[in-house]
Amino acid sequence: MKTGVLLGGPNWESVRQKLGIFEKEISKQQGFMKAIVDCNNFYCSCERLFKPHLKAIPVVVLSNNDGCIISRSDEAKKLGIKMAQAYFLSKPLLQQHGITAFSSNYNLYGDMSKRVMETMQSMFPSTCIEVYSVDEAFVDMSHVPAKELHNTVKELKERIGQWTGIPVSIGVAPTKTLAKIANRLAKENKEKSRCMLILDTPGKVDAALRRTPIGEIWGVGKQYAIKLEKLEVKTAFELKQMPEEWARQQLGGVVGVRLIKELKGIHAIGLDEQLSTKKMVSCTRRFGRPLTDLTQMKEAVAMYVSRAAEKLRRQQSAAGQMTVFVIEKALDKGDVYKPNEPIKREVILPVATCVTTELIKPAVALLEKLYREGVVYEKAGVVFGKLVPDASLQGNFFAASSSTEHKFLMSKVDNINFSMRNELVKVASSGVDRPWKMKQELLSKRYTTRWVELREVN
Amino acid sequence: MEREIFNSIYKGTKDFTQHDVHRANATGFSTPADEYMERGIDLNEQLIKNKPATFFFRMNGDSMEGAGIFSGDVLIVDRSITNVNGKVIVAVLNGEMLVRRLDKTFNKIRLVPETTKLAVIDVDPFSDFSVWGAVTYVVHEL
Repeated sequence: MKTGVLLGGPNWESVRQKLGIFEKEISKQQGFMKAIVDCNNFYCSCERLFKPHLKAIPVVVLSNNDGCIISRSDEAKKLGIKMAQAYFLSKPLLQQHGITAFSSNYNLYGDMSKRVMETMQSMFPSTCIEVYSVDEAFVDMSHVPAKELHNTVKELKERIGQWTGIPVSIGVAPTKTLAKIANRLAKENKEKSRCMLILDTPGKVDAALRRTPIGEIWGVGKQYAIKLEKLEVKTAFELKQMPEEWARQQLGGVVGVRLIKELKGIHAIGLDEQLSTKKMVSCTRRFGRPLTDLTQMKEAVAMYVSRAAEKLRRQQSAAGQMTVFVIEKALDKGDVYKPNEPIKREVILPVATCVTTELIKPAVALLEKLYREGVVYEKAGVVFGKLVPDASLQGNFFAASSSTEHKFLMSKVDNINFSMRNELVKVASSGVDRPWKMKQELLSKRYTTRWVELREVN
Repeated sequence: MEREIFNSIYKGTKDFTQHDVHRANATGFSTPADEYMERGIDLNEQLIKNKPATFFFRMNGDSMEGAGIFSGDVLIVDRSITNVNGKVIVAVLNGEMLVRRLDKTFNKIRLVPETTKLAVIDVDPFSDFSVWGAVTYVVHEL
């Protein structure tokens, strides 16, 4: 009966191979189903959760510094408020329609985002979840049997809504690109779709592709959309019909081929492939008020370096190159707001590093070269490039390397700042008073992260 | 490394290693108490059953004094509890957030205060009513 095992055991290699083939065949039959869970008007939904009286009132959330509109409730969208519209230009319209505006409260949104992701983890193992942005995550649902898919998606949507109070839309399809398309259509008509759309048959996929303009496909930028329309490719369905060789030539080589494959339902973009570690890390902000003073600008740049360095350390990278840029204040010309081009300078760092103090020095040096007296500046930024993994830092024989003590120090600073709330410990050169700091006039309370700012009830 | 840096030290979760439990065997002799060493009580674990669904509120008013909730107290509110009839809840009535006891019968929803100063609210079926979450604990400073 078990003689095979007794006599020398099975040939594991062949068993494994067979199993591998077997697994592949099953997955082909079931299809890889990918879902994208996308929070509806995320920032607005976070604000509304703690201010229920705004339920039916249009709401918008402004970017850093109250610059422009970055999130709109459905009502605000219907009133014709556009994404990225400058706040000061849309003020009259907002007032006219009684739209409530908020400064962005990233402490609140970050915490709510974490809750949404944790709720998903209560239903799916974290290896199946790829957090794509603050308000979106891909979920690999390949293991969910086809006949349970609808109920699973419904349960996920309802659970997130119940637990966190954040409404989400879920698109499900064989590939990530198609899931994005499904999600977009689900959002288009929320009442009909109930914020869910599952494309589980070729017929449904094609119908969805026909309804998707080329520019709305995930990964097709504005330039490509214009180009494709000129080539008479107007919908996702038409793009899917194009041969891969054509895509290789017209759509940026392998990226275009992948896109076509994804549209055909062939899995080409893996989970966690898109945004694993960033190639560049930056911190760019408009000053709270225009600046002319070099000392204050140095402080601001030092602070931006601190923030960006923190991001570097979070993804365990070190920067080999740095760019600093400043933008001069634009002149007001009626209602057309045209920002100036950035003026920039860059430097290759002798040793790739993620230590804040080592990054501030060259950044300030670059700023000094850019700065001109008498000019009014409105914005500055720091961009780190040539990122390398921090673990395998290449030492430079001629330059002193950033020692492990420095890294230890940084890890402690990050830990304190994270557990004691933001920037309890900071580099002195990044300023104390910070008159240049961002304007946030319409900021709501940090209801979920500060004990003294809890929502009051009676 | 990521965990080390970006999670606060005190997380209130159940994963801990044997090194977190300090042993009294520094001298080389182990004590009988060693075998009974365990982690201290963690209030997060005791009071928060479902972390992503739990929120804190601050009471500002005396509507629920009879239930032991006083003005200034912190309420622990769990949104994942759905069976809330008879429980103290945070209710949303026409855009206003209220802490009351929910009394739901087959044809009527009532929000009951626990003080003689306030009247029971009969929820109009046409009003905008929802349950925000169930109050599970009160933190009261003495």
